[in-house]
Amino acid sequence: MTGAVGLARFMLRRERFALPWWLLGVTVLVLIQSTQSQNLYGTPEGLANLRRTVGGNTAVIAMSGPPELLTSIGGEVVFEIFAFAAIVVALMSMFLVGRHTRTDEETGRAELLRSARVGRHAPLAAAVAVAALADVIVGVLVLAAAAGTGLPAAGSVLFGAGIATVGLTFTALTAVAAQVFESPRAVYGSVASVLGAAYALRAAGDTGDGALSWASPIGWGQRTFPYTGDRWWPLLLPVAAAVLLLAGAVALQQRRDFGAGLVPPRLGRATAGRSLRNAYALAWRLQRGALTGWVVGLALLGVAYGSIGDSIQSYVRDNPAVAEFLPGGASDIVDAYLALTVGMCALLAAAYGVTAALRARAEETSGRAEPVLATATSRLAWLGGHLSVALAGSALVLLAAGAGTGAGYGLTVDDAGQVPRLIGVALYQLPAVWSVVAVAALAIGWWPRWSAVLAWVVVGYCAVVALFADSFDLPAWSRRASPFAHTPQVPLDHPAVLPVLILTGIAAAVVGAGWAGLRHRDIGC
Amino acid sequence: MTVPGDATISITSLTKSFGATRALDGLDLMVRPGEVHAFLGPNGSGKTTTIRVLLGLLRPDSGQVRMLGGDPWRDAVALHARLAYVPGDVTLWPNISGGEVIDLLGRMRGGLDRRRRDELLDRFDLDPRKKARAYSKGNRQKVALIAALASDVELLLLDEPTAGLDPLMESAFQQCIREVKRQGRTVLLSSHILAEVEALCDRVSIIRLGRTVESGTLAELRHLTRTSITVETVRPLTGLDALPGVHDVVMENGHARFDVDTAQLDTVVRRLAPLGVRSLTSTPPTLEELFLRHYGERNGS
Repeated sequence: MTGAVGLARFMLRRERFALPWWLLGVTVLVLIQSTQSQNLYGTPEGLANLRRTVGGNTAVIAMSGPPELLTSIGGEVVFEIFAFAAIVVALMSMFLVGRHTRTDEETGRAELLRSARVGRHAPLAAAVAVAALADVIVGVLVLAAAAGTGLPAAGSVLFGAGIATVGLTFTALTAVAAQVFESPRAVYGSVASVLGAAYALRAAGDTGDGALSWASPIGWGQRTFPYTGDRWWPLLLPVAAAVLLLAGAVALQQRRDFGAGLVPPRLGRATAGRSLRNAYALAWRLQRGALTGWVVGLALLGVAYGSIGDSIQSYVRDNPAVAEFLPGGASDIVDAYLALTVGMCALLAAAYGVTAALRARAEETSGRAEPVLATATSRLAWLGGHLSVALAGSALVLLAAGAGTGAGYGLTVDDAGQVPRLIGVALYQLPAVWSVVAVAALAIGWWPRWSAVLAWVVVGYCAVVALFADSFDLPAWSRRASPFAHTPQVPLDHPAVLPVLILTGIAAAVVGAGWAGLRHRDIGC
Repeated sequence: MTVPGDATISITSLTKSFGATRALDGLDLMVRPGEVHAFLGPNGSGKTTTIRVLLGLLRPDSGQVRMLGGDPWRDAVALHARLAYVPGDVTLWPNISGGEVIDLLGRMRGGLDRRRRDELLDRFDLDPRKKARAYSKGNRQKVALIAALASDVELLLLDEPTAGLDPLMESAFQQCIREVKRQGRTVLLSSHILAEVEALCDRVSIIRLGRTVESGTLAELRHLTRTSITVETVRPLTGLDALPGVHDVVMENGHARFDVDTAQLDTVVRRLAPLGVRSLTSTPPTLEELFLRHYGERNGS
């Protein structure tokens, strides 16, 4: 343990820029949720309405928490935000511990430290102490945000403690994973899988008889029932789990060599598969993991959006203020809602397309494009590989979002036909998504150094215009400058083919211009 | 002298600027078919820039560049099918195994010799199943080297390919280059390791600040530098200082040590003979001295 105190202070210094953002993020989440909930459902009638619409909606319960929380306004806040805040805190703890243990070991920084007067367990102890400190601070900030916005003090203390102990559990779990796996990627992968399982288990428990929720660290925190039952004893579970896991981590660390894990890293293939033979195959191979993540993520988001579709009518009747956010007002309410959510998914698909296209630029600046371009691979094929992922991938992401929305909505209204219908609805946005990707390609061809900035400014512009044009009273031309203003907002609008064709043509021309730029410039600048 | 049309690589008065920095300032380079040509120069002298121009990654500002009978910028893809390249700083995709990278690069070049690939893996002692993230710098270098050496190509462009290799692997590398040479292929080898250059290369081009300052066979270049002589004569040796081309004379109990411009060697030996030479050792200039003479004094490094 020698040197742990000094190390902990050093780690805090290294985290001084990143950590405040995590802390601020969680605090803001709770602040916004608490004020918004109290505005919308602050009255006993509002809360009763909500209990009626949401309490019976399996999808919302699966996404949020146990419906028992919905008996007080504070409980409602916990219901809505606890699981998300807990996930953020768990990820914060995971990265804090992982970065200062396994990552430092892999890069060799820890070797330098350990050669000094630093004990074997000191880096782990210091990393755990720093993460635990961050968890406690998060707890205090959540307490302050909740109590500061007018929620009862006792429940707020329990709310904060619940969030902090989820963080502690994942701090200790990461400490164990950092002993078991050799690469930081595997450490994060394993801890994130447990986090995903914890979320899924409590979803299954909360929508069922509640038993499975007790297998989940997130469930332990939610089942303290802040503001509605205020019971403390479930917090013994995460504390006990953290103590046991930390003891396990120390025991494992005692047995392993520096730099080694208990599980050796998985070996790859000795020879390349038959299909890995050109720039296209390479681009897909490099990007398939991220694409899978986006497809699954947007499908789930679609399910979440879609499953509320049917309740939206009664929800808006109870909360007329919400109607202002919908493009069609209170008439055609379900279609308006679906058009809005599909539009948001299309913005996310465009964001995905931009990350996939910019991968080409990242390959170039990291020097990995050079050996590829030194083979008989043309520049067009090299960029084409990554653009094919961006274009086809964003279509897949959009399709997944449409299918998810259709499945979520179709399940609640008992209509399987909603799946193909909403896939079609989503794909109407594709030309606009492709136009954004095309701008990224153009920038890579002509202004490589500014390509990331330019592409993200376009995504940001489209998002601001789509979401805030009305509330900020932006002029009409600013709205028309976004490609998303030209795709028909089905199912609210009538599907029109001409704008879709024109927009696709423009996107193709812009991609071609980007290609022409790449042909004439130096590579690697 | 070979006419430029026959040369594997011929560069004349090549210039290339990046903003205000002039990376190449009238560089000339001539590599003949079947030779191993060393490309020497300190860091930042323009070696890598030249190779990137040859690969068609950078567009020349002015000057003529021909390689394998084509224009590296215009005919990049066709030429790349006939050459293999090893970068000085090999970065790989962290999640792809070394074996996969070797196969992929080979296939993108137009195929690689499976048997030779396995034999090279063995010679360089590389585990192809490891993911690239787990490789050290030397092992990443081996991946690129094996991919290049297992390809059936006419020209190898090697940019400091042995910077991360240990002495054992360095000798395996030299063995491979000798084989490549026997097969009649051409190699452009940029290097810092002078022993490697002396062991492998037929001709040398030395560049400095984007210009070629010397070019020729090692023997020709040695002619331009000084030989160290230690001599003991029967009669006292005087007046050495006054001879043209003699430098740094040190007299020590009957022995004289001095350096002489290789061009003046004959004159000096004639002067020594009548004095009755008891012993004489002469050391030819090493490449290192050559190198230092061009950089050491002027660059202060």
